[in-house]
Amino acid sequence: MKNFDPITLEIYRALYTSVAEEMGIALRRTAFSPNIKERRDYSCAVFDSAGRVIAQGDHMPVHLGSMPMAVAAALKAVEIRSGDVVILNDPFAGGTHLPDVTLVMPVVSSQLSVVSSRKAGWNRALPPVKQLTTNNGPRTLFYVANRAHHADIGGATPGSMGLATDVYGEGVRIPPIRLVQNGELDTDLMQLILANVRGNDERRGDFQAQIGSLQTGATRLLEIVERRGALEASIYAEHLIAYSARLMRHAINSIPDGTYQAEDALDDDGIHPEPVPIRVRITIKGEQALIDFSGSAPQVDGAINAVEAITVSAVAYVFRCLLGDDVPASAGLMEPIEVIAPSGTIVNANHPASVAGGNVETSQRTVDVVFKALAQALPLRIPAASQGTMNNLTMGGIDARTGSEFSYYETVAGGMGARPGLDGSSAVHTHMTNSLNTPVEALEYAYPLRVREYRIRRGSGGKGKHCGGDGVVREIETLVPARMSLLSDRRKRGPYGLSGGAAGMTGNAKIIHEGRARRIGSKGSWQLEAGDRIRIESPGGGGHGKPD
Amino acid sequence: MLGGCRVSRRQKAEGRRQKAGGRRQKAEGRSSGRGSSELRLLWTTANALKIVTAAPADCRLLFAKGMKKLRKRRLPNRESVVRVGVDTGGTFTDFVCEIKGRLQIFKLASTPADPAQAIIAGLRRIGEITATEPANLEVVHGTTVGTNALLQRRGARTALITTKGFEDVLAIGRQARPELYNLNAIKPPPLVADQLRFGVPERVSSAGEVLEVLKETDVNRLLQKVKRARVESLAISLLFSFANPAHEQQLARALASLDIPLSISHEILPEYREYERTSTVAINAYLQPLMGTYLRRLAAPAQDAHAAVNKQRPKTKDQKPLFLRVMQSSGGSISASAAAEEPVRTILSGPAGGIVGALRAALAAGFPNIVTFDMGGTSTDVALCDGGALRMTNEANVAGLPVAVSVMDIHTVGAGGGSIARVDEGGSLRVGPESAGADPGPACYGRSLLPTVTDAHLVLGHFADGGLLGGEFKLDQARAREALKRLASDMTKAARREVSITRAAQGVLSVVNTNMERALRRISVERGYDPRGFALLPFGGAGGLHAVDLARALRIPTIVAPSAGGALSAIGVLAADVVKDQSRTVMLEVSPGLAAKLEKTFSEMENSTRTALRAEGFKEGNQRHQRSLAARYKGQSFELEIKQTIGDIAAAFHRAHQARYGYAQQGNIVEIVAARLRSTGVVKKLKQSRLPHFDGKSQAKPFTHIEVFFAGKKVRAGVYNRDELRAGAKLQAPCVVTEYSATTLIPEGVTVRVDFYGNLIIDLQQP
Repeated sequence: MKNFDPITLEIYRALYTSVAEEMGIALRRTAFSPNIKERRDYSCAVFDSAGRVIAQGDHMPVHLGSMPMAVAAALKAVEIRSGDVVILNDPFAGGTHLPDVTLVMPVVSSQLSVVSSRKAGWNRALPPVKQLTTNNGPRTLFYVANRAHHADIGGATPGSMGLATDVYGEGVRIPPIRLVQNGELDTDLMQLILANVRGNDERRGDFQAQIGSLQTGATRLLEIVERRGALEASIYAEHLIAYSARLMRHAINSIPDGTYQAEDALDDDGIHPEPVPIRVRITIKGEQALIDFSGSAPQVDGAINAVEAITVSAVAYVFRCLLGDDVPASAGLMEPIEVIAPSGTIVNANHPASVAGGNVETSQRTVDVVFKALAQALPLRIPAASQGTMNNLTMGGIDARTGSEFSYYETVAGGMGARPGLDGSSAVHTHMTNSLNTPVEALEYAYPLRVREYRIRRGSGGKGKHCGGDGVVREIETLVPARMSLLSDRRKRGPYGLSGGAAGMTGNAKIIHEGRARRIGSKGSWQLEAGDRIRIESPGGGGHGKPD
Repeated sequence: MLGGCRVSRRQKAEGRRQKAGGRRQKAEGRSSGRGSSELRLLWTTANALKIVTAAPADCRLLFAKGMKKLRKRRLPNRESVVRVGVDTGGTFTDFVCEIKGRLQIFKLASTPADPAQAIIAGLRRIGEITATEPANLEVVHGTTVGTNALLQRRGARTALITTKGFEDVLAIGRQARPELYNLNAIKPPPLVADQLRFGVPERVSSAGEVLEVLKETDVNRLLQKVKRARVESLAISLLFSFANPAHEQQLARALASLDIPLSISHEILPEYREYERTSTVAINAYLQPLMGTYLRRLAAPAQDAHAAVNKQRPKTKDQKPLFLRVMQSSGGSISASAAAEEPVRTILSGPAGGIVGALRAALAAGFPNIVTFDMGGTSTDVALCDGGALRMTNEANVAGLPVAVSVMDIHTVGAGGGSIARVDEGGSLRVGPESAGADPGPACYGRSLLPTVTDAHLVLGHFADGGLLGGEFKLDQARAREALKRLASDMTKAARREVSITRAAQGVLSVVNTNMERALRRISVERGYDPRGFALLPFGGAGGLHAVDLARALRIPTIVAPSAGGALSAIGVLAADVVKDQSRTVMLEVSPGLAAKLEKTFSEMENSTRTALRAEGFKEGNQRHQRSLAARYKGQSFELEIKQTIGDIAAAFHRAHQARYGYAQQGNIVEIVAARLRSTGVVKKLKQSRLPHFDGKSQAKPFTHIEVFFAGKKVRAGVYNRDELRAGAKLQAPCVVTEYSATTLIPEGVTVRVDFYGNLIIDLQQP
């Protein structure tokens, strides 16, 4: 097991990664909701037969770090057989928040003969298919999974990103169950799900696109096995994991040994006005890192609780940034890293906490606090804080043009923190997300909304030797009565600067009714009349270094 | 070097002729004696000539006065013109023309600082040789002027006009960062600076209704601002202009008074998604002044140069500009004036020529399904042609900026002969994307110790004569070995077992092949094509070195290694038809009345291009009009193109979706987004030159034998000189086939024959 061939290793890295990328392309091109097809709010990954991730497409960091738990939960709860697809979104059983729905499918050796016989006759010169197994029965070789953010999953507010106080108020909770069994879609189950969500035609199409994407991935993996043999494919999956672990150990080793602490806070939970602190203590010892969140706030009433998968995901993201190279995104990355997130806290909430914002807001603050601690160890590498929120905006109602329900979800970019030696970028998504915007012209075709302004919020980046990037102004008018929800943060304290750089400007939001603007809080739901506008000004990034 | 001497004598002769004056030169050109002496220098494709020379240094001066406004011009008679294909590459500028039914090829050294110099020198030479007046030269040009200006950010000072409130559309882009885990990633700055982006109060809805009228006072205010900004070109891109272009038209009328190039979004790309559209339009404006100047200069006739020297020479009708066309990124050629208006359409002009040339060679050889593989020093371009047709995309990205006009679906990877190999911290062997370039170049160039792909080939004995360019360019064996020895020792440490130099070299090739394979997969498997139904067509300097390995990895059964692979791009631009693409957004659901509505749209589009092509000299019989539809399930955002435009369109779409994505949704509504028409003016087909026949049953004789490593094993391989091969000959594998600008490696286990056109047909299927 120790010996591997550096060349073959590189070949497998490329092969598995291209499978994940191809799954992403298939999903995007066939999806129906703007959130998936335009904003690419999805991720795809490949897992080995033990459910360990071996490759991911470069999609959404918050998904990628947490998907392994989804596959683990699916494997634990369901005996997955060939032809099955497991669906889940339960935050307390492999999910993160309800709109992110994950589908998992096994890739089984018995499907292999189907592939090869279908293609027989193409080429007499094909090398013979390598003998697969020593045992007789079909064997699961891989799992493929994708996770997509659905623009509505039911619950009290359109878009399912409102401020419920428990998970039951947030939408349909789906534990790991079979959506497809033996190749047949469970239409009863599908109907049950669709009956509980808004805009169900769109949802149906998106689920179909997710299943199609899994099939694409499975076909490609079977082709690889057919060509190179199952044994080699599985051995090198193992090697890829070990390889990532080696790279991560090397990266941790380059951090000076010691203990580094930091604290930052979310503004509030939307229900009570008090700040919600997150505290971390990082211990670096040789090639090992211990990330301890003890002392962070207990879980809260408002919907910003993060489950453990999200916290692990945030830590994984930070350390992956330190590698500074395109390492294989495999399970090995987390091998030398231990995360302690005490149960019942904001970073590891228990059932039945509401969690809509944990994924999108708390994860960003977790990243901020981990970077802040590491900045003490690596002052020349760590950037100042970025906007630290995703400015989650959802709007829903009845589209007067068609008479049917609509549900619009968008996250708004902001300023990136200044880097040592480099200004931060303006108007970009940072850290745990990288979703695109909905083009104005796509948005107005799809929804009874009109974008009134979309520009860079100049001067919002923190000053410094190098300045933080500027945030964004996005103003949207609704043409019909609509329920609007906002989940955002960094409205009370701006993203921190480093080494003497100033903090970035805080963000804010206003409702403009008959020409009069009224400032609203960072989290909540509001009723809008036709002609009302919501204006979001996102935070700037922190500055780095004292200004000259 | 011999060639160089010969050429310098020619230059002197040219100089004398210039002084002697245009009339005499013309008379000389027609005399048979001189014509034949020149033609000896121009060999046929099979024995491609290698003239390497620098263009005269005073070209710029000579031609400066020859500039004229480009204008559309009707060719008097298509039969009397001499057609010339010109492709500007990084190292050489290639010229191809058809003289008396024979294809003639030569190369001049490129003049990167001013690509026109080499072209003008080459055209003048052709004019003299063929005794053709510039007015009767029809030149088709594959250019990298636009791409390079964009890559190096050397375009015009451009202003952008948008709807007020959306001035930052280029700066915000799609709000994503380019690299997910790179804390130091830099977003490419917008092409148009902050202070040159102007908003005007106006608004149109998605349905095309005017919500806010564009006021004349605001237009005038804008005019003053733009004047003060002293820009060289202007881009206009208002929201929903494709739904109602009135406001863009109003602005264009007002701004026309500035007399600078205008790029207007509803004309260049009448499609939704404001960032992609605005980016495309801004790129166009950014390149307009540069491309206009460049093309005007080329279109000025060669004879004007002589006129400039000989001031007494009266201005006569021979001063008509030559007829210039430019290869566009979608595979056809457009007139120089159209290219100057819409330079964004030429952004992949260079590689597009190569693909057209490759497809032509493949079709002649009887292979309509090919994957092209153009591997150079720093990058590799791959593309796929299915059923003899080129594949297009409108989601290209050039220099980090989206280009949403239709371009050939070319995938480029940063791997080539100069890619550098190293062992990373985790012990994996990596190759590229860093490249040694031409300077310092691979270790074997003698100026560095960087282990590259070229060094790996050299160490493995793949260059039969130990050098490039027919042995003219010597390579340093010892340095290559030293560089790979260091790499091998790094690999030994990582693998914890001894890695030999040859093993390391073999490894470099395997890894670079994997990168190439991934690129080839991206354009084949990932788009739903099974490589087993395709032939691989390698060209470019390094294509033949990797072809067999790649074909095996992808299970491609046949390789067609084209003759004149080094000039394939120039042949391609010459062979390319004249193409006009049109697209109309229709947004119609499939319903009973659909066919009639589509028919009306299509025939309107056809009528307009029919007239335009006739004006360019194409008779009705030489025109082709290909209809297609861009369709999707209602609610999706990405369309599939279907050729069926009548009958059961929905069924055709379901089939296309099934083929591409593995499933169809029979119950869903199918929506036709756009009606597309590709109108083609078919140019006279180039003759394929045939090789002298050879007794088909015999083996060709290698001129020597060498020891080389193939797949890690040392073997004795024959070396064949490509120029001496005759049609029908069979080659004994393993072998190495050398030609002037390329080498083809042929390991054991394949059969190789030479076809009538000089292509090597390598069959990977065991007999």
